[in-house]
Amino acid sequence: MADTSNLHIAVVGGGPGGYAAAFLAADLGMKVTLIDPEVNPGGVCLYRGCIPSKALLHVAKLIEESHQAKNWGIEFGDPQIDVSRLRSWKEGVVKKLTGGLGMLSKQRSVQYIQGWAGFENSTTLRVTKADKTEETLSFDRVILATGSRPAIIPSLKLDSPRMMDSTAALDLADVPATLLVVGGGYIGLELGTVYAALGTKVTVVEMLPGLLPGADRDLVLPLHKRLEKMFDSILLNTTVAGLKEENSGIRVTFSGSAQDERVFDKVLVSVGRKPNSEIAGLENTSVTVNPRGFVEVNRQLQTDDPVIYAIGDVVGEPMLAHKASHEGRTAVEATAGHKVAFEPNAIPAVVFTDPEIAWCGLTQTQAEKENREIKVAKFPWGASGRAMTLDRAEGMTKLLIDPATERVLGMGIVGAGAGELIAEGVLAIEMGALARDLELTIHPHPTLSETIMEAAEVFYGQATDIYRPKK
Amino acid sequence: MTEFKLPELGENIDQGDLVRLMIAPGATIAEGQPVMELETDKAVVEVPSSVSGTVKDIRVKEGEKIKVGQVIFTVENGAGSGARASSPAQASAPTPQPAAKAPTSSAPPTQTEPPRTPAPPPQPGPTEFKLPELGENIDQGDLVRLMIFPGTRVSEGQPVMELETDKAVVEVPSSVSGVVKEIRVKEGDKVKVGEVIFTLEGGATAPPQRPKAAPVEHVSGQVAARLAFQAAIKAEGKTEEQALPPDQPQPIPQTFTMPVQLGKVAGTDHGEPVPAAPHVRRLARELGVDIHQVPGTGAGGRISEDDVKAYSKALLVSAVQAPRATHFAEPALPDFAKWGKIERVAMRGVRRKTAEHLWEAWNTIPHVTQHDKADITELEQLRARFAPKAEEAGGKMTVTAIALKVCASALKVFPQFNASIDMGKEEIIYKQYINIGVAVDTDRGLLVPVIRDVDKKNIVELAAEMTQLSQKARDRKLTPAEMEGGTFTITNLGGIGGTAFSPIVNHPEVAILGLSRSSMEPVWINGKFEARRVLPVSLSYDHRLIDGADAARFLRWIAEAFEQPFLLSVQG
Repeated sequence: MADTSNLHIAVVGGGPGGYAAAFLAADLGMKVTLIDPEVNPGGVCLYRGCIPSKALLHVAKLIEESHQAKNWGIEFGDPQIDVSRLRSWKEGVVKKLTGGLGMLSKQRSVQYIQGWAGFENSTTLRVTKADKTEETLSFDRVILATGSRPAIIPSLKLDSPRMMDSTAALDLADVPATLLVVGGGYIGLELGTVYAALGTKVTVVEMLPGLLPGADRDLVLPLHKRLEKMFDSILLNTTVAGLKEENSGIRVTFSGSAQDERVFDKVLVSVGRKPNSEIAGLENTSVTVNPRGFVEVNRQLQTDDPVIYAIGDVVGEPMLAHKASHEGRTAVEATAGHKVAFEPNAIPAVVFTDPEIAWCGLTQTQAEKENREIKVAKFPWGASGRAMTLDRAEGMTKLLIDPATERVLGMGIVGAGAGELIAEGVLAIEMGALARDLELTIHPHPTLSETIMEAAEVFYGQATDIYRPKK
Repeated sequence: MTEFKLPELGENIDQGDLVRLMIAPGATIAEGQPVMELETDKAVVEVPSSVSGTVKDIRVKEGEKIKVGQVIFTVENGAGSGARASSPAQASAPTPQPAAKAPTSSAPPTQTEPPRTPAPPPQPGPTEFKLPELGENIDQGDLVRLMIFPGTRVSEGQPVMELETDKAVVEVPSSVSGVVKEIRVKEGDKVKVGEVIFTLEGGATAPPQRPKAAPVEHVSGQVAARLAFQAAIKAEGKTEEQALPPDQPQPIPQTFTMPVQLGKVAGTDHGEPVPAAPHVRRLARELGVDIHQVPGTGAGGRISEDDVKAYSKALLVSAVQAPRATHFAEPALPDFAKWGKIERVAMRGVRRKTAEHLWEAWNTIPHVTQHDKADITELEQLRARFAPKAEEAGGKMTVTAIALKVCASALKVFPQFNASIDMGKEEIIYKQYINIGVAVDTDRGLLVPVIRDVDKKNIVELAAEMTQLSQKARDRKLTPAEMEGGTFTITNLGGIGGTAFSPIVNHPEVAILGLSRSSMEPVWINGKFEARRVLPVSLSYDHRLIDGADAARFLRWIAEAFEQPFLLSVQG
């Protein structure tokens, strides 16, 4: 194995993939330069994604629960919302976390450059710094972690302050009276939930026949029911045919199932994300970008240019922070000469709506598509004591099991805290656990995690909290 | 059909090593008759049959570890307790399946079945395609590319895959016609001669195929088995491990594909997720082991760290020992990592084949090497003169090309050097043709293309053919056929250097000629020293067939032929 301690690595992009890679490389003794346009590392996840949205969703949940508390004999009255204080609290969270990452970079002697990088050749980067000065730097290896940005559809392009993408929505300029969310994916539903909780009348329009395309329908159903109450309306099988700015708002023409015109104060476009693969000077390298805009890599995250690696959103779906950071670590280990590959058995996906939806491994939709024989064991939360104490009995936990080996191949959860619960499923799949292993593992009572154990019991035909008459 | 499974042997004994099999396919056995000797932790026991009939298919081999409940053999026209034990689901399952799955499911490489075993139960029609014989000494290959999918209609002769053998990449044509149903191998797999590649949807005269509902039946059979065994646990107060009849090894799912979400991850064209914890998968990668090939011993085929280590060890051992499993085992290696960093790399392709072949040759043939020197001063002048002619014909007039002609002539005069030994029949095989192999050094290792009918070609033709074959060898374009059928071998290290060496005979040939580097030497001629160009020649031979005096004469003849090139035209 070659001695790699003298390698000088450049990481382009400071998101969860980029900084994980940079920090590991530094810990392995390499010389590391991390380049990102922001003041501190963090990327979309910390500045404009996961973290600020979760801060706002936490508040949304509190407001929702304060309404629900009426059922429990507690009345708080209508909440008084100070948007600017809410905004600065959220920004404080972001600042604390990104500042912490800046600190960690310094402690590890990672050279952090605020700026943009372009290639002169495979190992030479021209960096345009925030103060407009330029510098040309040479490296032994380059890791691209340039991430993604909200996709824009030309027909939905309208130059107006009333139009928002996810970044603008998270800025929380105000709380509009009415909001149209274009796209029923996880970003649209999470942000729609925030605005609805703050008092906005939210309409969601989705081109396909269901929300959260790709997720199993039985997981989406409880969420759909709750969102129907929370939102003004959910328009499925519907597209936006036209947008026109008027004095009172934006006039939107729908086509498809709903064919009418409505006026909204604001419109949030959340129709997906695009990889940031338009890197200056990339043509001076041997890196290949595929027709969908993703940088092509092998299992070691190495591009077609052997000294350049790429990780995270820019190399492909799923565009998730936790996938990016694992790829980042794999790429660095590969440059260090370790025999590694990015080949997880499961990558969890979580939608942080209320209720949350989470899944990992094989989905039922996928199994049906492949005509793959599986056994599905479901445990409805109506039979969970913990769910009842939370007044959230609409949830459900299911396991997808290989009938021949009884191996757990997939897990899906809808319900409060599903995002935390799914980790057990990921571990089970990665460890090659059998349903029997989940069944025989003692889970703490009373918690929602018991639903996983009980779903495994259901698979074997006997669950403590469900009575099934003998045939 | 009735199966005989290993019965309970006693308290706490759930497996044993099969020491001796007392039956063979076709044998007629009666209930109570001993069929094998099994060594358990406690003693060696004779196991009597609980069934009677004609033995059809034996599912175990001597040396294997066998578990209680595992199927030992099947009988036809049988009766006995085995019949009662087998569930309806098992009975309805098609018979070729277990046999066909055996190589892929659990057998570690040391125990893999020898190739060319007779096909198990005779089938009424060709419903599956097995890897056919590919050539001399080729018993496996790496599957490079599959050209078919389930549902593809194939016809006899149509190429269905590309296979990289030790010698070349070959296209394998189908020997059956029909619609592909299930493909049992995948790209990157090591495929053995006789291994099932794919099955067909309804062969020509095949019996009615497995009904569509079969999988459901299979499941219900499992459920039934589970209920039966749960009842057994209750009744006997046993643990699950003891009560579970661990019949055939748990099949690892063959057809799993990743969910869309993961499949889309760029650069991660996953096959199936392996039932192994992440640290185990990493270990496999570090040891250079394909985790997909490792048989898991845990529940649901789960692969442990020990499984990976055992498999890795078996791989290394089998690389050397496979050809002669019955010979003594190599002494265990020390832990080299104790003294510094090491790297373990799997032996593959040409290197593995060379190791096996030379190990076999060295252990079979009592070698002797005879050395001599040939004065090639005059030959060099001739060579220079005829070089342009050879070049015109597209070849290079090398010493090797001339040596080919010289050896062909010598082999005619000394036919015992153009022979092979059949010790089994106690016969000597004299060959009426002269095909000479020439060792070629390539970046993949040593390859030996064979030039046919050397005695019927002139030196210019031989030079041209030699040049062409060497280039093919270096371009990896040699076909297995071009490396077969040699009767004698020449190896020339003169281009590199050396004064003499002892080549190893290319078994089953009986002699090999080694050429070292020629040099100017003083030679005593007519009362004074003259500066002459001298070529050292070394002949290794099989002393079983060739006596020392014959070898000395043979080599002297060759040396003289080099010294007096015109002899070739007279005697050759």
